Amino acid sequence: MNYSQYTVHSPQTLNEALGILKEKQSEVRLIAGGTDVMVLIKDGVLKEKELLNLSYLDELKYIREDGNIIKVGALTTYRELEKSSVVNLSAPILVDACKTIGATQIQNLGTLAGNLGNASPAGDSLPPLYVLNANVKLQSAESERIIPVSEFFLGPRKTKRAPNELITEITIEKAKPGLHYFFKKLGLREANAISLVSVACIVDLDKDKKINSIKLALGAVAPTVMRAVKSEKLATGRQLDLNLIDEIARGVSEEISPITDIRGSTEYRRRAAYGLVYEGLYEALMGTAKRVSGGIEGVY
Amino acid sequence: MEEELEQKYKSITRSVPRVDSEPKVSGALKFITDMKIENMLFAAVVRSVHAHARILSIDTREAEKISGVKAILTYKDIPGLNAYGAIVPDAPVLAYDRVRYYGEPVALIAADTEELAREAASLVKIEYDPLPVIRSIDESIASSAIALHDNGNIARHTIIKRGDTERAKQEAYLTLDRTYRTPFQKHMFLEPEGGVAYIDESGIINVFAGGQSPYRDKLQIARSLNIPPEKIRTVDYPTGGAFGGKDDVTVQIHLALLAYKTGKPVKLWFSREESGVAGYHRTGSEIHLITSVDKEGGLLSNEAQIYLDTGAYQSFGPTILDVSIETINGPYRIPNYTINANLVYTNNGFSSAFRGFGAPESNFAIESMINELAAELHLDPIDIRLKNILMTGEEGPFGNTVRHSDGLREALMRAKRSKIWAGALQNKKPWQRNGVGIAVAIKGVGFGTLPDYPTAAIEIATEGKVKIMFSNVDYGQGINTGNAQLVAEKLDIPLNQVEVRHADTKYSPDTGSSSASRSTFTSGNALLMACSKALDRLKMEACLYFGTTNEKLEYKEGRFYYKDKSASIYELAKGLKARGETLRFESTFEVPRYPAPIEGTLEVPHVVYMYGTMLSSALLDELTGKVHINQVEFYADIGTVINPSIASGQIEGGIVQGLGFAITEDLKYDASGKPINNNYTTYIVPSVRDVPDIYVEFIDSSEELGPYGAKGVGEISIIPAGASAAHAVYNASGKWVRDLPLLPWKLI
Ligand SMILES: Cc1cc2nc3c(=O)[nH]c(=O)nc-3n(C[C@H](O)[C@H](O)[C@H](O)COP(=O)(O)OP(=O)(O)OC[C@H]3O[C@@H](n4cnc5c(N)ncnc54)[C@H](O)[C@@H]3O)c2cc1C
Repeated sequence: MNYSQYTVHSPQTLNEALGILKEKQSEVRLIAGGTDVMVLIKDGVLKEKELLNLSYLDELKYIREDGNIIKVGALTTYRELEKSSVVNLSAPILVDACKTIGATQIQNLGTLAGNLGNASPAGDSLPPLYVLNANVKLQSAESERIIPVSEFFLGPRKTKRAPNELITEITIEKAKPGLHYFFKKLGLREANAISLVSVACIVDLDKDKKINSIKLALGAVAPTVMRAVKSEKLATGRQLDLNLIDEIARGVSEEISPITDIRGSTEYRRRAAYGLVYEGLYEALMGTAKRVSGGIEGVY
Repeated sequence: MEEELEQKYKSITRSVPRVDSEPKVSGALKFITDMKIENMLFAAVVRSVHAHARILSIDTREAEKISGVKAILTYKDIPGLNAYGAIVPDAPVLAYDRVRYYGEPVALIAADTEELAREAASLVKIEYDPLPVIRSIDESIASSAIALHDNGNIARHTIIKRGDTERAKQEAYLTLDRTYRTPFQKHMFLEPEGGVAYIDESGIINVFAGGQSPYRDKLQIARSLNIPPEKIRTVDYPTGGAFGGKDDVTVQIHLALLAYKTGKPVKLWFSREESGVAGYHRTGSEIHLITSVDKEGGLLSNEAQIYLDTGAYQSFGPTILDVSIETINGPYRIPNYTINANLVYTNNGFSSAFRGFGAPESNFAIESMINELAAELHLDPIDIRLKNILMTGEEGPFGNTVRHSDGLREALMRAKRSKIWAGALQNKKPWQRNGVGIAVAIKGVGFGTLPDYPTAAIEIATEGKVKIMFSNVDYGQGINTGNAQLVAEKLDIPLNQVEVRHADTKYSPDTGSSSASRSTFTSGNALLMACSKALDRLKMEACLYFGTTNEKLEYKEGRFYYKDKSASIYELAKGLKARGETLRFESTFEVPRYPAPIEGTLEVPHVVYMYGTMLSSALLDELTGKVHINQVEFYADIGTVINPSIASGQIEGGIVQGLGFAITEDLKYDASGKPINNNYTTYIVPSVRDVPDIYVEFIDSSEELGPYGAKGVGEISIIPAGASAAHAVYNASGKWVRDLPLLPWKLI
């Protein structure tokens, strides 16, 4: 592999980075952990001849608590998220997802912003971000704006990011203590597998197992990660029992629009989505699903 | 048992660390493809972009214009035979009039840098006239099919018969008629095919390349370059994995040709994707069985139609077909059988040797059939096997006398008592189903009736070391360590006095290839003979030294004793050396074999067989169809275990590779004959997290023909994995999957 054909810019500050981006726009490709970009380079399909290396931007490596919000700097790696106590306490569903991404080496390098920037419908951190009402902060030399993650993606590999913009921060809402949650991923092996289907769900059950609210997001079953809004609506306010679980899981499998590729057919993905939703909700019903602890140890 | 052995032996039967583990673990070891030589050129291969086409023209003019390009070779530049192939040389070294698989080599480039070589390769213009692509066995044998070779589309066809299957079927209580299929499997060694070649001062072409058969490679190179084999040296250590995929020539002829033509050192190293399209794979199989039993489950007859897809060329195909013939009756007593076996050409890449060599394909069929018969008859799958397996001393299915099958019987008895056979898993979720499966395997050690005369040598070095030399390549399986242990045992010296000279035709005599689970048996025996020869000679030298005659000497711990005097083998070697005598002792072992193959075969039967019994416990998710094998027990009869930890590693590795074959690995070609999944992302080999709990037990057994009673180990555990896993899944789901792999969509 000949990397010398690429011009690499390695800014030391965010301002410097935004300056380069302002000048180069789509001539330059952003590179963070490089776990997607390096694959493109190796396959000879990267169009850009210049790289904007973000890895020195220490100011974008942080996880901060701000009231009900967790702010995650764009360059935070999966491993850092997995180790963070606030994320474990208030957004553990994201931790579960991070642990399924690639394997140890990828988790050490890969960043949350990279997963967003890559915009694969199979990105595994994305369904949890959807159910955590995440917002994506985009910054340019001139301005900044915030877009809900559910509006950020336009299709496979397509986002609303303008060529002069950088994702600088992702904010997520803390999940309330006591909520049930699950992240389930179906791949063909236990590590380094691309999702055939993934499901993230946070459900608020009252004492009598009535669904106060439910959020369900699915990966790899549509051009972008999607919330199963119809099924969420159908479930809200109803008593969780085996019949309802079946109804919700069926609803989800109908609501999605998966494609057929070498990893699986449309038909199979629908059935697998049914299975994952069923299994997760069953565990919630039986009280064996995980619950958000919110830092109040020993309560749940 | 282990304690007893520990008293009996000093070096063998012990799990000593590998002789090359330290440099491998620390990373200090350089693999062959790490080699760099000053002024080395880099090679690239121009490959066919059609799976089947006529070549109309090859235009290299644009490529020649690139400065830094030192050679562009086509078929016209091959001085000798433009063909290779271990058994039948039917594959062109460089295609001339026609290409038969996607990725087939058409031209070679050598240039100053890898990038220039690849750029020049992209500029070679080849005009093709596409021909119909044959994508399956069915398409290949259809009467309307275009012929892929002059001899048609069936590379080899044979029928072997015994008894009267028609009558047996009529008298049978139950006859099942089933078709089983197995996919192509890629070797996926961590080090893709590659190497370096250069010409030394004496004009010898040195070819350093990952391989398994230094001498056969050398002959194939010589044949294509039209130079004497003495002008070629091949070195194969250290190779980063092979599994059969480097048994036939990969880069060796191309490398030698480029070095020969340019006079410069050249490196050629496949990328992972290149290995994916141009490297070999296991034969795909379709096996049709009609098998009959009596009411008690006694096997009466077996009618087998075997089709193996060899892809575009034969390589080892004819002998792979033989092994599939030999294993289609399992280790069972089957009085009547007909085996109709066919090796079929297609445009599905290029099949060659792969661990098990036709046996995993046949085993999936016959062992699944036995499990289906047991289920139909409501018999315990272990009992039906115990009823039918051949006993020691009985006549085998191919006229051979069965030696040592007691290990298999013992293994089945132990399997029956095992925890996983008895118990279903606890704490299952409602959608999880658990099932246990079994399959047994038999595999011959070595080349059957083919003449095999492996030679090995030892040298008593006066500085206190014994050097040992053989041509079996240590590509990770540990043969260097096992052989060092055998020699240390025989010479009664500490292991650290044994130094292994790795596979290199400059030093190593021809012991043949590392394949067919034969290395320990062949080089081990030859080395033990060489040790005896050395001891005999040194004893005479000791007599001279002590001024006595033979009978009065004792030998112990590397020294000859006479009264109160003693001398080490190294001291005595000095005496020999001083008189200019050789310190190198070479011996050739005659591998025991039947004088001729049975009619219709090339090498059936073998004299020595290994056996394995595999229990698998499957956890099936009924809602997603996903299968996880969570526990495996393996009982192996491999004779004396020279190094238990290395042998267990071989068994475990084979199980995991076998479970990949069983569950996720599925090499596919698209409509144009191009492979779809050619890297680790798309071709799903198991990760370490997919590995089940594995329990390995060696059955106490000893094969007198082997070195200290050893047989072989490399292939036995991959063979039953497919049928064992499929049976476990049947017991979990009630579904027989007869076409591997056990992908989730086949199970919901
Ligand atoms: C072996 C392997 C296994 C993998 N397994 C998984 C898996 O299981 N699940 C999964 O979801 N992914 C997986 N991936 C993909 C990859 O690891 C993730 O998408 C990861 O999050 C990418 O992060 P990165 O920092 O490495 O991104 P990079 O490769 O650096 O960049 C990815 C994309 O995001 C853009 N980008 C990076 N930073 C920013 C920014 N701050 N603002 C705007 N755009 C930006 C880049 O331009 C590029 O388009 C795997 C990759 C490999 C190589």
